[in-house]
This record gives sequence, structure tokens and C-alpha cells, in this order.
Amino acid sequence: MMTIRDRGAAALRRFSRSTTTTLLCVVLVGYLALGVASSGSFFEGPSVRTFLRYLATPVLIGLAQMVALCVGQLNLAVGALGGFTACLMGVLMADQGVPAGVAVVAGVLVATAVGLVTGLFIVVTKINGFIVTLGTMTILQGAQYGLTGTRTVDGYSAALRDFGRAAPLNVPLVFLTALAAAALLAAFLYRATAGRRLLAAGGNPLAARLSGISTDRQIVLAHTVSGLLIGVAALTATASLPGVNRSVGGDWLLPSFAAPIIGGVALTGGSVAVLGTVLAAFVMRLIDAARAQFSLDPSWVNFLIGVVVLGTVVGGRIHQSHVAKRGGSRGSAPPAPPRGDARPAAVSPHPGGSG
Amino acid sequence: MTAPVAPPGGDTRSDRPTPARPAHRLPFRADQRLGLLVLVVGLGALFGVVRPTFLDARLVLFPLFRDVSTLTVVALAQMVVLSVGHMNLAVGRMAAFGALFAGLGYDRLGLPLPLGLLLCLCAGAAIGALTGWIITRTGVSSFVVTLAMDFALLGLVSLLYSALTENAAFTTKPSGLAELRSYSLADICVGPVCGSPVIPQLAQFTVLALLGLGFLYGATRIGRELLLTGANPAAAELSGIPTGRRVVLAHTLSGLLAALAGFMAAVGTGTFRASIGDDFMLPSFLGSVLGGTLLTGGVVSVVGALLGTALVGVIRKGLELLGVGLESLNIYLGCVLLLALSADRVRTVVSHRKVVRST
Repeated sequence: MMTIRDRGAAALRRFSRSTTTTLLCVVLVGYLALGVASSGSFFEGPSVRTFLRYLATPVLIGLAQMVALCVGQLNLAVGALGGFTACLMGVLMADQGVPAGVAVVAGVLVATAVGLVTGLFIVVTKINGFIVTLGTMTILQGAQYGLTGTRTVDGYSAALRDFGRAAPLNVPLVFLTALAAAALLAAFLYRATAGRRLLAAGGNPLAARLSGISTDRQIVLAHTVSGLLIGVAALTATASLPGVNRSVGGDWLLPSFAAPIIGGVALTGGSVAVLGTVLAAFVMRLIDAARAQFSLDPSWVNFLIGVVVLGTVVGGRIHQSHVAKRGGSRGSAPPAPPRGDARPAAVSPHPGGSG
Repeated sequence: MTAPVAPPGGDTRSDRPTPARPAHRLPFRADQRLGLLVLVVGLGALFGVVRPTFLDARLVLFPLFRDVSTLTVVALAQMVVLSVGHMNLAVGRMAAFGALFAGLGYDRLGLPLPLGLLLCLCAGAAIGALTGWIITRTGVSSFVVTLAMDFALLGLVSLLYSALTENAAFTTKPSGLAELRSYSLADICVGPVCGSPVIPQLAQFTVLALLGLGFLYGATRIGRELLLTGANPAAAELSGIPTGRRVVLAHTLSGLLAALAGFMAAVGTGTFRASIGDDFMLPSFLGSVLGGTLLTGGVVSVVGALLGTALVGVIRKGLELLGVGLESLNIYLGCVLLLALSADRVRTVVSHRKVVRST
């Protein structure tokens, strides 16, 4: 049991370390380069505040997608649910006169409930999660349009605006919210039993079921947590944007996948990288900031992010086959590239499952 | 359900399973398509009774059929990759990419209509082949690769449009484009007999695509190999099918069909612009999945893609005429998708139980 867990943890740590260090270097170099290119103005207070304020939402939606990915599910409704929740908060405050606190709590609860219902629907009907979230995405887009129509809701409470604007020591509160959510999520996934179960169900559903973990329950849990994180993302978006309309959330879907994929999360489930996802969101924000700095066409951002994701995917594959080749020449078993050299050390790989 | 167990042409065909399989399979699949057809016709008749304008040939049915023919090609583009168990999230962007080349050909090179279409199809096939090649070479899931491709093309197409044109659209129209857009079968007469005014001429491409794919999957060895690759890649590999090449083929075909759909959409709207294909992703899955194609691969239904798309088109148009606003339309479409699939799931469970009981 111990050897398995140690081996798994070591492999995970090694893998996450390599991806994370690369990303960290990219972030630092990119940030410095951008600062130099802007002759220092990028390091000053206002720029830093803007940079971090609009980083909060990408981080949160990336994490929301990551939670769904870790049980082997996809959540296509990230943008639609976020946009719907943001509009719901805005409409509650501006049109119904609900106090900011109540509206925010209501919005986050609704988002969580939608996630829960999605998860239950997937488990009960056993329809592919991709198609179910495609359906909920369509429904939520319609609901968002129904809430706001063509107008922009901007008459919401000053308290929320202050929250969006507040930045002690040039670090915006919304960004701190995102970081706190990331830290809580990391603690949940790496330390809590429920989080470990989630990963076990994603990594090997059969083994998880045999060791007494209900995969169905994990799928519902993952979608619920995903909904919760999207609710928080909607909160940060509503607080930092000048107003909410039906276009909010329209461009969240692709970044939400890009962040976990660049951050080193496998789409097949069973792996998470909270720090990697946060850093990947950072990288994408840097691309966006660079675009603004050199006043390029906004299309460059999408193009570059696409190329970066493709590059990550291809590069990761090359790295893996490289490792496999090295492991092969050392005389260990050729399959299972990442653990090629750890295999002979394991005494009894199977009996305990992953309990 | 799983069509080919042994590759055709193999010598292992014993007498027992061959006659048994079609007997099991045919009524089930015929049932689904028949149900869809009944639903499409029934709903069409219902809308026609409630709102007589629904049956107006010029204003309602002609645009409806034009939309359905375009979106059917989109659904087919998705179906081809689904048949090998993959997905193509970049289907809309590949359409835009193809249409860009067609527009470029007409605007800059002064190509005639068919040559521009050929250029468009080549561009689509090339980008599809590239996607398939990346997937087979890296072994990364098609979801990620096509998603990244979607990003990259989204940016690239807009950049190219803004670099090549003044107002982000090619407006040069080669001769024949306007006719292709607005002519129906009523404009083709064989002696005194003219065609129906509701069938657009644009539908000829759809018919060609349907026939081509029907032939590919129904009668050729390569089609069977595509299905087996989707149903069980390991078994396909072991029975000597070059699965990598089949995956590349599926993505190439998908790119080609997406580009064709992009061309048809551009003809339908009259301009070649970057926003072509923006709303293709949902219909591509709706049409193919409602038609009975499995997401897991191995089962396709070419006619089902047409019927599924027609069903969505009829519902959309009918609700629009009933005065349902654009916002609620999406809600209904999402619900239709979920309900249809839940019903499908129930039927699968029931038929599975029957099979289990009979054995």
C-alpha cells in the first residue's frame, strides 16, 4: 500500500514539477519581457492591478473545468453557466433591488445547483457528459438571453463594485478570491478523503468501484464543485466588469480548456494540477496583455493560444516518448513510459487496489 | 449495433452469424429512422395547420430547406469523425477556413465558380488531414487537438480576412453564385415538367455528400474499416487495419465536408466572411447524434444525419413562426436534445434487456 502510494505520489510530483517549473519560467520571463518592452510602465501600480483583476476569472474557469476533467468528464457549459449566473446576479441587484450579499449568494447557489442537476442527469440517464453539457449550454444561453435581452445591466450595487475595485497593495481582492478558491480546491483534492476519491474514480473507474467508491457519486460531486467554482467566477466577473450583458461568458469555453491542458492535466481523468492551471491562466493573460501592449488585432490571442496548446500537446508527447526510449534502453519494460524505471521496485502492485 | 465484427473480405465468415446479424439489426435501426421521419413530417404538418404560413414555399420552406441542406453537410462532417470514435470541435472553423479560400480565389484570382469550390474543398481537406496527422502522431485525444485547432483557426481566419480585405469580407461574386443561391428545382425544366419550388439547387451538394458517404459506409471496405476502427481500435489494429491511416482519412473527409458546408453557408448569405461557421458546432452534434450515430464510434447513420438535422430545422422554424423569441428557442432546442437522448437511452436499455432475456 505504502509503496503504491509513494510511487504514485512521486510520479505525480515529478510530472507536476516539470510542467509547473516550465510554466513558472515562462511566466517570469514573459512578465519581465513585457515590462522591459513597455519600458517599465508594466510594473507600475495601475498596470499590475488591471493585469491581476482580469486574471481572476480565467483562473477560476480553468479550475472549474479541471475538476470536471479529473473524473474524466467535460463541462461545455462553463461559459454559459458563468454568463447566466453573472446576469442573474446583475438583474437581481439592478432590477429587483436585492442587496449585493444576498444576490451573490443566490447566484453562487444557483450555479452550484445547476452543476448538481447536470451531474445527476448524467448519472441517471447515462448519456455522455459531453452531450448533456452541450444541452445545458444551449439551455443556459437561452436563459441568459431571456434575463438580459439586448441591454447591458450596469446599475448594480456599489458594494460589489467597490469589491471589484479594491486592491490593497496593488493586489485586487477579486484576484485574492481566485487564489483562495484555488488554495481551498488544492487542499480538497490533495488532502481530503473526498478529493482523493474523486481522483481515484477518474484515474481508474473500475478499480475505484472495486474498492468501494461510487463513481456515480464522484461524477455528481465533480459537476457540483465545477458549478460552485463557476459561480465564484461569475462573482469576480460581475465585480470587475463595467456591466453584464448577454455576451458575458461567450468566450470562456476555450480558455477554460486551454488552462488545464497547458497546465498538464490529462483529459482522460485522474490527474489534477491546481498550480499548473493557475500558471497556465497566467500565461494566457500575459498573451492578452502583450496583445494590448503592442496594440495588435485581438485575433492574435486566439491564434497564439491555439498554437501554445498544440505545442504543449506535441511537446509533452515528444518528452514522454523520449523518457520511454531512455527507460527502454536501461532494460526495463517498454510500456507505461512515465513509470518505466519505477516498475521493478514495486513489490506487489495489485492486491490493495487504490484504497 | 456494432456493425462489423470481422473485416469484410476476410475468409472467416461462417454461415451462422451472417444471417443472424441483419435480422437483429435492421428492424431496430429502421425503427429509429422511421420514428424520426414520422416526427419530422408530423411536426411539419402540425405547424402547417397551426400557422398556415409555415407551408409558404417562397418565404418559409425554401430557406428552411436551404438551411437544412447546409447543416446536414455539417452534421455529416461531424458524423465521419464520430465513426472512428473521435470528435471535431473545429468543424465551424474549418468551414470558415474553406470559405476563406473560396472567397480569396474569387476575389484575387478571378476563378470561376467551380474552381473556387475546388480550392475551398482542397483547403478544408488539407486542414483536416493536418489535424488527423497530429492526432495519430501524438496519440493525444482528438478533443484537445481539434479544440486547439479551433483556437488557432479562429485567430488565423480573422487575421487573414483583416489582412486581405478592407471590411473583413470578400464581396466579389463570380457569375453563377447568385443563381445558385436563389434558384430552386422550379428553375430546371425538362420539357413541360418543372421541379418543386421548395427544393433549393444548393441541395445538390448535400445529395452528393449523402450518396458518397452512404456508398462509403455501406458498400466499401474502407468504410467498414473506419467503423471497426471506431468500435474497437485494438481489434482493428490486430486484424490488420491501418488504424492511423483510417483516422487521418476520417479527419480529412471531415475537413472536406466542413469546407463544403462553409461554401454553402457563404453562398446562402452571399458574402465570404470570418463569422461563417460560428454556430456550426451545436447543429453538427445535434444532427448526427439525433440521427443515431454513436459518440463512442462504430455506428453511423447517414440518412439519420439528414433526418436529425431536418427535425431540428423544423422545430426551430416552427417555434419561430409561433412567436417564440430567439432566447426561448435555445432553451427548447437544448431540452429537445436532452429529451431525445433520454428516450434513446430508455430504448437502448429496454432492447438490451430483451436481448439478455432471449439469450
